[in-house]
Amino acid sequence: MIHILTREFLESFKSVRSILIILFITFVSYQSATFIDSNPGLIQEIVKIGGEEGTVYTAAIALIVLILGFLFVFATSHDLINKEIELKTMRLLVTKTSRVQIMVGKFLGTLLFWVATITISFAVIFIISGSWFLKDYFHSFVFLFYIVSFVVLVSTVFTKSKLTMFLGILFGIALPILGLASAVSNNWYLVPFKYLLPYRYLEGSIALMFVPIVIGAFYFLISVFIMQRKDL
Amino acid sequence: MSIIEVNHLTKKYGTTEVLKDINLEIYQGEVFGFVGHNGAGKSTFIHTITGITNKSSGSFTIMGFSDRQLNHVKKRIGVMPDVSNLYENMKGLNFLRYMGKLAGDKRNKPELKTLMKEVGLEGAAQKKIKSYSFGMKKKICIAQALLGNPDLIILDEPTSGIDPESAIKIRDLVIKLKEEGKTIFLTSHNLDEIDKVSDRVGILSDGEIKKLGTPRQLKEDKGAGVTISVRTKPILQKDDIQKLSEKMNTDIIFMEAKRDSTLLQVPSEEDLPEVSKKIIQSDVHLYEMKIEERSLEEVFMNA
Repeated sequence: MIHILTREFLESFKSVRSILIILFITFVSYQSATFIDSNPGLIQEIVKIGGEEGTVYTAAIALIVLILGFLFVFATSHDLINKEIELKTMRLLVTKTSRVQIMVGKFLGTLLFWVATITISFAVIFIISGSWFLKDYFHSFVFLFYIVSFVVLVSTVFTKSKLTMFLGILFGIALPILGLASAVSNNWYLVPFKYLLPYRYLEGSIALMFVPIVIGAFYFLISVFIMQRKDL
Repeated sequence: MSIIEVNHLTKKYGTTEVLKDINLEIYQGEVFGFVGHNGAGKSTFIHTITGITNKSSGSFTIMGFSDRQLNHVKKRIGVMPDVSNLYENMKGLNFLRYMGKLAGDKRNKPELKTLMKEVGLEGAAQKKIKSYSFGMKKKICIAQALLGNPDLIILDEPTSGIDPESAIKIRDLVIKLKEEGKTIFLTSHNLDEIDKVSDRVGILSDGEIKKLGTPRQLKEDKGAGVTISVRTKPILQKDDIQKLSEKMNTDIIFMEAKRDSTLLQVPSEEDLPEVSKKIIQSDVHLYEMKIEERSLEEVFMNA
């Protein structure tokens, strides 16, 4: 499992798409943090109306994760599982190790890549602000855990990588809209999205933030269940 | 002692039954050759017992572990897959390093290069697999099957599509592995090769094992008749054999008329005196009549 994780993690850094995404997130984090740092009055204003200092510094990265998170993760990892099935290299892997280990290795390798990406941005913010905003960091982690689990599920259910690329764009645009809308609206047709998507849980207590992790873990278990029954 | 024990194994794709009630035992230290035409189910059988596909019914054990416990024993099995299963963008050596790690192989880079040399891939370590020829891809598939020093090695058509010299080298490697005590399960279209290296052979046709035994047992299978070569003047033709068969009221099959002899198949050795008597009575000069050992190919064709 560790070898599949390591390969997945390192391979993620090798694509142009991934490098561009890392550069984009890091650049935006740096720019917003330096802007906030050079405008201390802005922090005081936000703190006065009940905001937190950390939220001000991490607002840009939070927006990227909330709005573009699905799109970015799908862009880099939509074919995480189905590409190996399409290329039949999965056949080679299953003769060496268990399907569960392959799935766990791929999932953790991808998650680690995204955690590394946001860690770089938080490190940049830390250098500028002098503080590591743990709560916001955890928020981002929870969100990415959920998204990566969802991407793994889509990549396992749909065996054609071209289809998951299309679905990735569709989900990447639709889910943030549905998630944010359902978090502020009580329309009946948005209710399932309110509870299934992670957006509403991010503004609650720490305990509530574990709900997306539980849902994500459930998605992952379904993926493993499907994978176990697949003829490769 | 059985290394693989298969009981009533069935595999269906939709309504098509690709493997039908397969029962098979493969013993420790033997080379078992699996023969069958394209689509007979050889690869499906390998895929099923190695966990690539799921069985529909039946069961199997490998080294005492049931099919549900297959993951416990994977590191002791080396599987040579189809060449289309390779990571084409990896360099040969990196591919073996990755597969080696998964197989629990502790070999370092120079040792892996030695392995590549053993299978005939000297100088290909730093080349990407996609630049390899078909034969080279076959060889790297074999090399990765040997990673982790497995007790059971499954080779799916290891010599098909490669040059004769490499095929001989691979055949020698199979013999060497057998001498080291490995159990080898081998599929091939090359019946001559199967005949030379296998201790036992199974003939698979339409998802069923039609024949099973040592190459000698299969060739001597009395149920399939005896092939004889008859040297006469004039040479016996198909019509003559048909008449002979009618006279004797026995199934005598005309196989081939050669330059100076005719190949026939008679039901048993006991029929030979009567056959020779009838040939002589039919005003034909009989010079020689001998039993021909059947080739595995004939056994296969009659299966």
